[in-house]
Amino acid sequence: MKLTPTVPTGCNGIGNQPPRATGFQSAWSLVLLTIFFATGCGATPPAWFRPNMVKATKEKLSAQREQQVATIMLAMFGTPDDPVALPETGLDEAKLRLAAGPVRSNIVGRKNGLYREHCAHCHGITGDALGPTAAFLNPYPRDYRPGVFKFKSTERADKPTHSDLVRLLKNGAPGTSMPSFALLSETQIEALVEYVKYLSIRGETEFNLMGAFFELEGEEDELPLGRDFLVGEMLTPVTEKWAAAAGARIPVPEMPADLDLVASVAKGRALFYGDKANCVKCHGPTALGDGQANDFDDWNKPIVEWKKEIAGEKDSKFLARAHRVLDGDALKPRTIQPRNLRLGIYRGGRRPLDLYYRIHAGVNGAPMPAAKGTIPPEDIWDIVNYVRSLPYELDGELGADRPMVARDRF
Amino acid sequence: MPTCLKNDASHAATLSVRWPRDRRWTVAGALLIGSVLLCGCSESRVKQQLADVEAAKQLRATLVSTATESGTGDAGAAASTGSGWGTLQGRFVYAGTPGDSKPLMVDKDTEVCTKDGVKLLDRSLLVDPSTKGLASVVVFARKASRVKNPTPPDAPLLFDQKYCEFITPVFAARVGQAVDVHNSDTVGHNTNISGSSFNQLIPAGQGTLYKPDAETGMPTMVTCNIHPWMKAYAVFRKDGYVAVSTADGSFTIPDLPAGEPLELQVWHERSTGPSGALVIDKSELKWNSKGRFQVKLEADEVKDIGTIEVPSSALGG
Repeated sequence: MKLTPTVPTGCNGIGNQPPRATGFQSAWSLVLLTIFFATGCGATPPAWFRPNMVKATKEKLSAQREQQVATIMLAMFGTPDDPVALPETGLDEAKLRLAAGPVRSNIVGRKNGLYREHCAHCHGITGDALGPTAAFLNPYPRDYRPGVFKFKSTERADKPTHSDLVRLLKNGAPGTSMPSFALLSETQIEALVEYVKYLSIRGETEFNLMGAFFELEGEEDELPLGRDFLVGEMLTPVTEKWAAAAGARIPVPEMPADLDLVASVAKGRALFYGDKANCVKCHGPTALGDGQANDFDDWNKPIVEWKKEIAGEKDSKFLARAHRVLDGDALKPRTIQPRNLRLGIYRGGRRPLDLYYRIHAGVNGAPMPAAKGTIPPEDIWDIVNYVRSLPYELDGELGADRPMVARDRF
Repeated sequence: MPTCLKNDASHAATLSVRWPRDRRWTVAGALLIGSVLLCGCSESRVKQQLADVEAAKQLRATLVSTATESGTGDAGAAASTGSGWGTLQGRFVYAGTPGDSKPLMVDKDTEVCTKDGVKLLDRSLLVDPSTKGLASVVVFARKASRVKNPTPPDAPLLFDQKYCEFITPVFAARVGQAVDVHNSDTVGHNTNISGSSFNQLIPAGQGTLYKPDAETGMPTMVTCNIHPWMKAYAVFRKDGYVAVSTADGSFTIPDLPAGEPLELQVWHERSTGPSGALVIDKSELKWNSKGRFQVKLEADEVKDIGTIEVPSSALGG
């Protein structure tokens, strides 16, 4: 029986290296084995990236194709211990080396392996959010591979800017298990941000590549595995977006200097409950996040959809494999809860500007839609002001039947 | 004395029994720990295919070299081998009894989200009762060497919603063509096109323009998160060689390049094939397990592939 989707193997505890078979029979072997386990292995075994098994299985890639993908990914990105970045990625290999590999130190005062020290236990060696602790967290850690990030200063479809990721690492994501890494040095934060981008670019490229293999006709057909195809068609569409993010900050008009805050909050309230902005539908009539509660985000939805898809599957061998992949390479899908706006805790930051970004562009990957285009900027500021007033509303203004927390309603 | 003797005897007996029993526990304990160590940590995950390290090294050498390749060409584009244009048409019929459509779970805005008091129905299998025509089947050319109309039409394509239902359950547009995402309801909606990062509020009676900037591959889901029962599918193609079967099951793709082998992908929401590919046994069209078939058109030809019977098993029973 398996309780968690990921079970640590090997001595570094969070590696993804394939299991090795061992056989011991005599009691002496057991004693030796116990001593071996108690004292450790000494050297850390090499770590491998885990392929996107959900995508590979969904597209029914053959073992040969899977190996081809693994080989191409190794050539383009290296291993978790020895990452390489093609010039087209725009990534700094020196930064990557500081973050990658096992935790170690050769020079006094400098530590390598920062990603495995601080991040991998939740986000996983591969950045697939399948670290050993992932299944126990709510919300689940971010899976970088789809290249979708929620809390950023850019338009919905755009990547986050470099400083968006730095800010998130420094501040953490309040209300989630993501802590603040403010105690790390600037150099260390820079290295980790670079490594997160690397894992994300790697994951998205692998996804593209598996899709390209699926598009092929028969088993004998081959992809043009040269520079033009792998770099030009698989990698560049991803890295171009990262490069474009730097200059893609959402323009935010200043809040009027002579703003009447009481009037603005009242206008924001009308919009919140009105049919135009429709915030009430999900965040609920009480703003406790008790509206729409049976939806999934873009990380969980593909798993839910795939489960539905394989329900009609007749090939029992494939079905058994699909279920093993769902068990071992995916987390149990969870519904997404609209934010309780009365707590005053905001995952992407509590500045008025942060709330403006969230309402203007929506939350990428989540059901929260963009107000951009249909709601003018001054109305967005009114909604921001109303939302910011919500945690401080006096009981008398709310009506006697308002529950303190959403669960009291159910 | 007898009592004492008896005590001694029972004591001795206990001792003589206790030794082996203790040892048994030791052995059992060791076995337990041993088996946990041996089996407990082994992964039950699906085995991953390991990279071919030598091949990766060679490939890496070609990737870092800045010299541009010659001769590899773009294998994504089909070779242009003909001239003129042809039309492909056909008709899908459902070979089976579709049964009654299930009503959708409508738990919000119930006074608006109904068609004159009639409940909204599941539209994943739309079969015309008289002709058995199967609607909402998507057919698109996977690659074409030539395109007759290189620019998408200027007029925006209307994608509307009414009674908390997307009016067109499956729609096709060209990349770069404006789609007018409209809301004819009296309640607000949001339209979320998965995979595109388009998810916008559409207030009552308003609309917004969306220009798809990439092909979808297989059709992608369109939802409204406010009304989770609302669902549609969108397919975006650069060349516009795509059709969605109408209520009687028929489809037409005009202006296809003639004289070259064309491969067409077929999709249906309920298909059991990979990613919704509609897999049918039709060897004369070389219909494969990925739901693709092959044709070759002559110039000015209107090729009718006839009536294609879709068995209920291909659509998940």
